Amino acid sequence: MEAEVRNRPSFANIHVQLNPGDRLIAEADAMASMSSDIQMSTRFNGGAVQAVVKRVFGSESLFVNEFTANSPGEMVITQPFPGDIECIELKGNTMFLQPGAFLACEPGVNLGLGWAGIASFVGKEGLFRLKVSGHGRVWFGAYGGIFVREVESEYVVDTGHLVAYEPTIGIRMGMAGGIFSSFFGGEGLVTRVSGPGRIYMQSRSMDGLAAWTNSHLW
Amino acid sequence: MQFEILAQPAASALRLTMDAGEELTAEVGAMIAMSAGFTVETSGRKKGGGGGLMKGLKRMFAGESFFLNHFTAQQSAQTLILGPKLLGDIMHHNLSGTLIVQGSSWMASDPGIDIDASWQGFGKALFSGEAMFWVKCSGHGDLFLSSFGAIYEIDVDGEYTVDTGHIVAFEDTLQFRIGKAGESLIGSFLGGEGLVCKFSGQGKLYCQSHNPPSFGSVLGPKLKPR
Repeated sequence: MEAEVRNRPSFANIHVQLNPGDRLIAEADAMASMSSDIQMSTRFNGGAVQAVVKRVFGSESLFVNEFTANSPGEMVITQPFPGDIECIELKGNTMFLQPGAFLACEPGVNLGLGWAGIASFVGKEGLFRLKVSGHGRVWFGAYGGIFVREVESEYVVDTGHLVAYEPTIGIRMGMAGGIFSSFFGGEGLVTRVSGPGRIYMQSRSMDGLAAWTNSHLW
Repeated sequence: MQFEILAQPAASALRLTMDAGEELTAEVGAMIAMSAGFTVETSGRKKGGGGGLMKGLKRMFAGESFFLNHFTAQQSAQTLILGPKLLGDIMHHNLSGTLIVQGSSWMASDPGIDIDASWQGFGKALFSGEAMFWVKCSGHGDLFLSSFGAIYEIDVDGEYTVDTGHIVAFEDTLQFRIGKAGESLIGSFLGGEGLVCKFSGQGKLYCQSHNPPSFGSVLGPKLKPR
């Protein structure tokens, strides 16, 4: 299976070429187009109970689709919002993805559920996070550009901008500064990240777009 | 007439360089900037007659506007810059025959090209995720289309599947029918793909990488009620 992320960073989409027998797991509604000889089947995102928990608390989809090629074929995987897509290859390691970031993975990858904590929920980052582990490539998307940082000790990210991080990363919510500057400075709550480990951030946030749009509606 | 597509694919604009006497018909509101040596005529019909009131009304059903703007260069080396309202891509197609275009994707074309609304049938109107009517472009010349997301081209020979909402345009040598995405109908809906457009035949198909309704369904719940 060969995959290439095209049209980066603003309208990134994944062009996948499948050989007979190749399989790809993709997020619900991520398929834009495909050769007609690729078969799609739908299954729970993890186990049935886990899928429901993910749907209710983690704003993940209840189901994922599995695509199987019967003959050489191609397909295009996309995300709902304009932005970049990143590919990581898991070699037995684990990665946490924020709700809504997951797009697709190879069949050797497990989609599990990780408890993110009440603090994360308060910071609008979701009560659960998606835990990807195993072997194979994982693609995740973001609203805006994606940038990576190796965090050594402490780092501060605005809420809604964290996309993915390694399990060695600790997450807690905090204020950007004092009470006054936190709320009048427009930053409010921030995510305090502690390392060592790698984090992926997005350059825009849907909440930011929603707030801007709301201020223009009357 | 020469053209260049700038800032692809996110914030595309079309820059045309036209000589005296050259003409272009464009969507109302698409003009961003132009040289002083153009005359602009707004009418509800194709340049030089043809169509008229009914065609204008039909175009409105297809998601386009009733009026069209006709740009005619009066001097040599005049530039005209056009762009769509949403973020997205612009493509050029050298039309020779007929292209069926998704409502609202048509942006500009050679005045010799006939732009008409076309009814694709009731099932497709309801389930294709596109407008009720499609824009049928026929004739010969340059045709410019816009989209939300990057445009990619597929040479269909046999069959090809496109998710609803991702079609930009296709040659009329292709036909499509609405079908289910997976083997079971329930699975197709639960899997979020639901219905898809299944193309068959031989010809060019243009798709857009993103689609506005999906973006809307992510943003919509975060907006305050009006």
